[in-house]
Amino acid sequence: MTASVGAPRIAGIEYPLGHPLGEVGDAEGQRRVLQAALQVLASVTTPGSIVNLPFVWQKPAQKLEKSTQEESPITKLCKRKPWLFLKLLSGDIPAMPVGDESSV
Amino acid sequence: MADVDSFRFLDFATTRVVKAWMSREPKRPVPFVPLRKPLSQCRVAILSSAAISRRDDTPFDLDGERRNPFWGDPSLRTIPKDSQAAGLRVEHLHIDRRYAERDLDTVLPLRRLDELVDQGIVGSSAPTHYSMMGYQLDLQETVQQHLPPVIARMQAEAVDAVLLVPV
Repeated sequence: MTASVGAPRIAGIEYPLGHPLGEVGDAEGQRRVLQAALQVLASVTTPGSIVNLPFVWQKPAQKLEKSTQEESPITKLCKRKPWLFLKLLSGDIPAMPVGDESSV
Repeated sequence: MADVDSFRFLDFATTRVVKAWMSREPKRPVPFVPLRKPLSQCRVAILSSAAISRRDDTPFDLDGERRNPFWGDPSLRTIPKDSQAAGLRVEHLHIDRRYAERDLDTVLPLRRLDELVDQGIVGSSAPTHYSMMGYQLDLQETVQQHLPPVIARMQAEAVDAVLLVPV
């Protein structure tokens, strides 16, 4: 996705969403990821190059208890009005005045 | 190293949406400035998309995002380099915020950057770092209104390189 919008250099890492630098509390691992990402600044000479970092996520996902966080607004809306998911897919974003999503 | 699978940890619906939006991105020239000096002499700033703001600053407009789920607050926030996690809040409504709340460096690696500076690997950490809301379906306002002052500030603070951290 980052490549599709034309970033000058990209350090690719196959880590789960929400913690791209690594695991909570793993300072050593985070430092290695940061250092490797910054080294891409110097190593890349072709605009838009992607360097895949040599870090492998070993666990299925970091184990956390089930989230009590509210669902994202777009997830909630698409569950309530599933046809809006097609609009989201197509990029045909309904013009909604802020404060009036009930008009969709 | 094999190619990174960007979708390995994404659910089906999100993958569909991301791929659809990627396919519509126009081909564009990639801006590129070669690094003019070694990393060990560079001043680095970080821009994280985790929607982090200082507790004494304006929060991201979460009520606006709840009212219009197709909208994301397009503005940016500044985060001084010596900020402590207790003085910051993570306001992204579309990510699991617990990682960032338990360890800010998983999304905004200010402490890790300080350590690389101490080791002489990076020249210095910029006085100011930045965060924005990563959920943006239309970036026009961000690009036209909110990024120019950020770029001007980076230039005023002699930043050599910016690390974008998509969360």
